[in-house]
Amino acid sequence: MSQSDPAESSRELSRRGFLGLAAAGLSATALSACTGPSTSTDNGGGDAAKLDFTGVKPAGEITFWSSNPGASQEVTQQIIDAFHASQSDIKVQLVTAGSNYEDIAQKFQAAQAGGKLPDLVVLSDVWWFRYYLQDSIIPLDTLFTALDWDTSDYRDQLLTDYKYGGSIWAVPWARSTPLFYWNKAHWQAAGLPDRAPKTWDEFAEWAPKLKSANAGTQNAFQLPALAGYAGWSFQNVLWGRGGSWSAKDSFDITCDKPEAVAALQFLADAVYKNKWSGVAGKDSTNDLSAGAVSATVGSTGSLVGILKVAKFDVGAGFLPGGPAATSPVCPTGGAGVGIPKKIKPENQLAAATFIKFLTTPENTLKFAQATGYMPVRKSADPSSLIAKAPQAKVAIDQLAVTRNQDWARVFLPGADQEMANACAAILTKNGDVQSELSNLKAKLEGIYSSQVKPHLR
Amino acid sequence: MVAEIKRSPATSPPEVSASTASSRARRGRRRRARREAAIFLAFAVPNLALIVLFTYRPLFLNMYYSTLDWTLGAPTARPVGLANYVEFFRSSEAGEVFLTTAVFTLSTVLLSMALGLLVALGLNRKVRGAGLARATVFSPFVLSGVGVGLAWQYIFDPTVGALGAVLRSFGVDSPQWFNNETLSLIMVVLVYVWKNLGYAAVIYLAGLQAISSDVLEAAAIDGANARRKFFSVVFPLLSPTTFFLLVTSTLSSLQAFDLIRVMTPLGRGTTTLIYDAYLRAFGGYNQAGYSAMLSTVLFVLLVILTLLQLVFLEKRVHYR
Repeated sequence: MSQSDPAESSRELSRRGFLGLAAAGLSATALSACTGPSTSTDNGGGDAAKLDFTGVKPAGEITFWSSNPGASQEVTQQIIDAFHASQSDIKVQLVTAGSNYEDIAQKFQAAQAGGKLPDLVVLSDVWWFRYYLQDSIIPLDTLFTALDWDTSDYRDQLLTDYKYGGSIWAVPWARSTPLFYWNKAHWQAAGLPDRAPKTWDEFAEWAPKLKSANAGTQNAFQLPALAGYAGWSFQNVLWGRGGSWSAKDSFDITCDKPEAVAALQFLADAVYKNKWSGVAGKDSTNDLSAGAVSATVGSTGSLVGILKVAKFDVGAGFLPGGPAATSPVCPTGGAGVGIPKKIKPENQLAAATFIKFLTTPENTLKFAQATGYMPVRKSADPSSLIAKAPQAKVAIDQLAVTRNQDWARVFLPGADQEMANACAAILTKNGDVQSELSNLKAKLEGIYSSQVKPHLR
Repeated sequence: MVAEIKRSPATSPPEVSASTASSRARRGRRRRARREAAIFLAFAVPNLALIVLFTYRPLFLNMYYSTLDWTLGAPTARPVGLANYVEFFRSSEAGEVFLTTAVFTLSTVLLSMALGLLVALGLNRKVRGAGLARATVFSPFVLSGVGVGLAWQYIFDPTVGALGAVLRSFGVDSPQWFNNETLSLIMVVLVYVWKNLGYAAVIYLAGLQAISSDVLEAAAIDGANARRKFFSVVFPLLSPTTFFLLVTSTLSSLQAFDLIRVMTPLGRGTTTLIYDAYLRAFGGYNQAGYSAMLSTVLFVLLVILTLLQLVFLEKRVHYR
């Protein structure tokens, strides 16, 4: 075998040389293919005036991303089937895009980067504003006009939750409030009146009686799991004592004010000093349904689940108030549906046509009966709902005394997590309330300055 | 200078000069090289293209995103250079995240390997039901992490969980597994080890079965007791297996996500580097640039750890 000429060999494509060249070439290709967000300053804006659906024909098929709140997949599909029966132009495909609001938010946000977007999507009370800031959803006012859609029948408190900058950005759908749930048998054993406490101080007086009358019960009260929206449910205690996460309709963070500190101190004392409350590990409504605790606070969306599982009479009442206010001390919550921006106008129009059907008085009632969420239309007659589960009346009645949530909780990205972490430090590590809330204020203000203020339009 | 080959006219076909032959040989070599290169390209390029597209492109993109102030889902972003890195390394969060990552990784890797070795030693016997026992030990490894996390949640739940009920029957209150940060980390480590020790056990079992019985018999003849045989013969001979497990388990553990996500969604006490990257992008904060920075830090950490293991530990491995 002859040896190759070194000079010749150097000109031949050696394996190592090829690999080097290939790696360099492919890396260059990869780098040149780098895409992502634009780094220009123009963000496009979500200007309602640019939307015009004149002459637009609705798309023939649309997808609906839902997390099926309140185990609503079956009833949602029934409503979709009814929609298909009512017309033949638009087909709706229901896609389970997550098991909770956070899952669906992840998927929707990931899809913004180039994935396939849905035509309508479930957006919770803490997510829609982020989509607004990110310019991911459209204002619906033009569609209301295009479809001759009278929105005055929607419950005002629920519709205005989605109002910002003079436009409506979503339509209420699976809407809830927290309720005070209790075990009636435990109440009876303790000789308590068959009602929810009017104030938390009243419950603090009842708690020792509940504990002594119900041996074997782990706690008289169970605070909701901190991972499950502590920032939402604890607004009630804050408002009752004159505090709040942020001042009404403003980004002025007030969570370190004496009233807020007193509210969280009351909860900390309930856990550590007076020992009438525990903190749920996973789900306080499960703890109540299992008979392990005498009372808790949970979403109206949990009502049907609690009634199915509990082997005792369940009471449901308004949230207790505090020394500063007994009403309104109940926040609204839950989710609505919105329409993405980066889809065709035909799909946006078809999606709006379906949302209009999804939230008719008849369908919102059907949805409420199946899940426990509240009917979102004023003209929806709740009598059949109440006949089936009298507790549902409480949720509907309480809606009249709800208060729009603190902006710090619903409009600041990550605020819910920071609030939950602060509450966890106070309620599970016995942390100093004032210092934890001061730290929380600094974090919330940092989020506002860096992530919200620069994007406000 | 090229020498010419002179041949007799009577015995040879037309005279061929040495330079022509050499030239033909060169052309032949070139053709072969081109053909080999073409075959190599045909096999390698599709794979390389896939690796570049699905591994290196995201990697480079991620590094690029780590230099942006980008809210996930937003169409625009602001270049900030290394500001995300500076913010992270100057924050108190960095120390906590690195500590949690170190504790989680060390404990899961060491426990999985130690228990896996013990289980493998137990399974390396010819007893009835050994096959079933091996399948039982290995089966958690192939289960979905989400399913495993959900199932164990119902065991650990302090109020309605099985473990709490057992403890209460002895008059002991259940520990607050989900609300106490230290206990949350212990809980996730325990479940992770339970799920993954089957992998270590099966790999160790293969290593044990590859050890020649002659070596063990020779040790026995030399008077080595069981303990001496294990530490002086078996364990050194398992060093390639141990090294392989150390590398793969460390990489897996540093990237553990599903159990942490399902069992401790807020990440209190369990926020490892990869989980922090998830929380920052998808956990409500929407800080895609910051999250990309954390992913890049994790990538660098993985590269450094793997190189360190290769450089320092491989020297101690006995391959025969």
